[in-house]
Amino acid sequence: MIAPRWRKVLRDTFGQRGRSLLAVLAMAAGVFEITTMVHEYALLEPALHGMYARTRPASATLLVDRVSDALVDSVRCMPGVGDAEARPVIVARVRVGPDEWVPARLQVVRDFGAQRLDTFEPDHGAWPPGPDDVLLERTALRVAKVGIGATLALRIEGTADRSVRVAGTVHAAGLPPAWMEHMVPGFVAWNSSLREGGVESAQIRMVVADHPLEEGHIREVADSVRTRLERLGHTVTRVTVPPPGRHPHADQMEAFLFLLLAFGILSFALSAVLVASMMHALMAEQVRQVGMMKAIGATDRQVAGLYLGQIALLAAGALIVGVPPGLLAGRTFAVFAAGVLNTDVSGAPFPLWGVAVVAFIGFVVPPLVALGPVRRAARIPVREALADDPPAPRLGGRRMRGLEGLAWLPRPLRLTLRATFSRRLRLALTVGMLAVGGATFMSALNVSSAWLRAVNDDFGRRHYDLAVGLDQPQPVAAVAAALAAVPEVERAEYWPAASPYLVGPGGVATRTVSLVGPDPGSRLLDLALARGRWLAPGDRHTAVVNGAVLALDPDLAVGDSVRVRLRGRTEAFQIVGIARELTPMASVYAPRADVLAATGQHDDEARSLRIVTRAHDDAGERAAARALEREFERRELPVTGLMRMRDARQGILDHLVIIWSVLAAAALVVVVVGGLGLTSMLTLGVVQRTREIGILAAIGATPTAIARDVWIEALVIGALSWVVAVALAAPLSWGLETACGNIFFKTGLGFHVSPLATGGWLALVLVLASISSFLPARRAARLTVREALSHA
Amino acid sequence: MIRLRSVTKTFETPAGAFAALRGVDLDIAAGEFTAIVGRSGSGKSTLLNLMAGIDRPSAGTVAVGEATLDTLSNDRLASWRGRAVGIVFQFFQLLPTLTAAENVMLPMDFAGTIRPAERRRRALELLARVDVPEQADKLPATLSGGQQQRVAIARALANDPPILLADEPTGNLDSATGADILRLLGELSAAGKTVVLVTHERGALDGTTRTVTLADGRVVS
Ligand SMILES: Nc1ncnc2c1ncn2[C@@H]1O[C@H](COP(=O)(O)OP(=O)(O)O)[C@@H](O)[C@H]1O
Ligand SMILES: [Mg+2]
Repeated sequence: MIAPRWRKVLRDTFGQRGRSLLAVLAMAAGVFEITTMVHEYALLEPALHGMYARTRPASATLLVDRVSDALVDSVRCMPGVGDAEARPVIVARVRVGPDEWVPARLQVVRDFGAQRLDTFEPDHGAWPPGPDDVLLERTALRVAKVGIGATLALRIEGTADRSVRVAGTVHAAGLPPAWMEHMVPGFVAWNSSLREGGVESAQIRMVVADHPLEEGHIREVADSVRTRLERLGHTVTRVTVPPPGRHPHADQMEAFLFLLLAFGILSFALSAVLVASMMHALMAEQVRQVGMMKAIGATDRQVAGLYLGQIALLAAGALIVGVPPGLLAGRTFAVFAAGVLNTDVSGAPFPLWGVAVVAFIGFVVPPLVALGPVRRAARIPVREALADDPPAPRLGGRRMRGLEGLAWLPRPLRLTLRATFSRRLRLALTVGMLAVGGATFMSALNVSSAWLRAVNDDFGRRHYDLAVGLDQPQPVAAVAAALAAVPEVERAEYWPAASPYLVGPGGVATRTVSLVGPDPGSRLLDLALARGRWLAPGDRHTAVVNGAVLALDPDLAVGDSVRVRLRGRTEAFQIVGIARELTPMASVYAPRADVLAATGQHDDEARSLRIVTRAHDDAGERAAARALEREFERRELPVTGLMRMRDARQGILDHLVIIWSVLAAAALVVVVVGGLGLTSMLTLGVVQRTREIGILAAIGATPTAIARDVWIEALVIGALSWVVAVALAAPLSWGLETACGNIFFKTGLGFHVSPLATGGWLALVLVLASISSFLPARRAARLTVREALSHA
Repeated sequence: MIRLRSVTKTFETPAGAFAALRGVDLDIAAGEFTAIVGRSGSGKSTLLNLMAGIDRPSAGTVAVGEATLDTLSNDRLASWRGRAVGIVFQFFQLLPTLTAAENVMLPMDFAGTIRPAERRRRALELLARVDVPEQADKLPATLSGGQQQRVAIARALANDPPILLADEPTGNLDSATGADILRLLGELSAAGKTVVLVTHERGALDGTTRTVTLADGRVVS
């Protein structure tokens, strides 16, 4: 036996199906957002914090002259060292097609069964590998274009080509996915045949015993280890300390989560606003019934309870509608994000705290945002509520005088628009909602367009098509002869290059930078300068550094000295300019002669080439790259790397997918919410003008004309929202462009507004307005004169 | 039973303050069947609303039964109204999505007076008493005006209040149906209810025991 007041609630809810459905969808949008975020976080949290730490990432890596078990044992016993493991690395290239090679890094593992640092797990196939086997990281199969059991052709500097069998795959959660880095990570056994000929770089990885996340402490310990090793008669050529505790793709992950959170909160807030305005509309329609109930003895509290109950019912519907797609979207995002991190999402069930959060948001927020309108309606004096023309609890009601100037419009349309503009707060809510949706949409396009532009601009300043690295410095004459034999090559320049350490404050070597010595007169490189000037012919010991160098040492400025350590010596260059470059790789450009001197190369030798091809399309560049590989091989000039600039550019553009997917999903939700808001506003307008519409129909307005006016009303609101959206999109795009650029490239992307986005949204919002107006317009057109005039 | 002392009610209008009642003193004894008459705009509805606690006076006191309405909070006033008075309106004011029986049960629900299991039985009894037993499970929109007003009277009786207040209950009905409704109110008065009827139809005065005439917000006789 249900009490009559709850029967009223049930009948009102299920009787007005269209309106209830709109309200449920509006609430469901918020529930969807929250469920997505909670589920995604619940799935990713273990991957983010657990999995990487469980690989026991090395605090530091030392490059030494040779490794032995005894040496590693002694490192393990040095003060401050927690553990150490020998992990020699073989740098190679693997063949992925005729004359096409991809770089590979093969780690030599002491004991697959007793890994200590940077651990990995068996995935598929053999474990451990035999002497002629390699295990590839599971994400590398696609890059190497092989399957398990296949034979891999390997080329290692200074040795004859060989082949190994891909015996299986492993999962190394600490390595970025191979497809994002476009290189092949692999693992070979201590007794691997590849080690013959001493081609490996002997590396010892270590973790510190205490304060594993303090970079300064790690450096101190690593430095003392180096000193001790040198005292033992070893040479230590390099000490690298990666950012402690951070997955190599942590930055991208954070950008992704930041965007997801920002837009999740934004669309949740919008949904809450929409729910509030719908509840306001609901209460406006119920004023007379509130009066009736209060007249027969209902207290304010009972009336409010009744409507809050109705809202709880709608909220329950919203949970049913919003949770399943939210779970799905959360999983989809989590899987995508885990792919970027090269981890798996756990199969963890939706956590209990998540259920609590979603239920709280789903059940408590709607009544909370409705509390204002409900209380206001419940407090209306009976006399007012039952008056002939019951007042809606008003949300701003003054008339717009300005519309009187639109005398040229047909009178019925003027009536419609005047009603629209007289409800200012409701209009502002609807316009605001659509505008935020539009701004999100436009920002998504603006950011990706800015990204595209920045990348194209950056690569457009490099007027070469291929970058080739040779194993050894070779006589320029021999290299030139080889190039001359390749008709696809137009011309080339030889730029000495090296990878020294940047010497930071206090004389401590920090990260590797790339030291490049272009010909000062070269026209192949035309970098944009943020400050200062480019290298000039005749410069000595000067340098142009890019933004990534400043990110490593923010104190550097034009006029300061940048110091690098190379071959045991420290070289200083005076900074004359700061270049704007997109790459996160820190680069120091110095005069060719200085770089030659620092690297010990001779002027008539070449090791790194910049090549301009004759044809500037994908096929032409690919053909040139293959022909070059063949020609260098024929002339026994071993190549260590050949990069097509087109591939490099595409690699950077591929990271856009992350941004785009988040923004597109967010824009979609916001647009749906905005459309719902518009529909509910138009419907309410029709309901409140029922009597007026009846009079218009009685004096001869056709249903078509009445429907058309509702449609025009929607278009006017849509166009208005577009204007606001354009204004909102500018700062939003700027903020996102700056944030994305800083996270990925350590520099802003440069403000950019895409005309396509701006125009596209205008078209889209008008279509959306038309769709939103369909039901309300039909409702208005179907009102019969009798119904309309008897409307109480 | 009902006692008004120096009651004044002024409304704020765009044209300035307007006094709808000016210093009304009125006593209505238990069991009386009082008709309040006067021209349209003379203040009849305003007076009735004050007795029902639907509105509050600008000055003066209103006491109904044991209660002095001015001292009650809005919520207490509503609860008091649910138990102590039954109100009948010109436009019936039935909730459109509830059946006749449910509309009658609603005041019991709000007041929490009758045991839930008893409510429907009582509602059906009341509907039988006002002669619409077979309309119990129909929605108001499917009933005639006279039937709707009978349902509204049954609803006013739901919590067995001692006082019935009716504001032009026949104003929206044809004269024959209206006469039936007035006869019903007469019967209720005879059964012991204190009935106050606002009307501007002279013919309605037949069964009443007393007539109060209002003009320009004052009791003139
Ligand atoms: N809410 C109100 N605001 C302003 N004036 C009102 C209001 N209610 C009633 N009045 C005025 O008070 C006077 C008395 O109204 P009312 O009691 O409804 O008259 P009756 O019921 O006798 O026709 C009328 O002139 C009416 O215009
Ligand atoms: Mg009246």
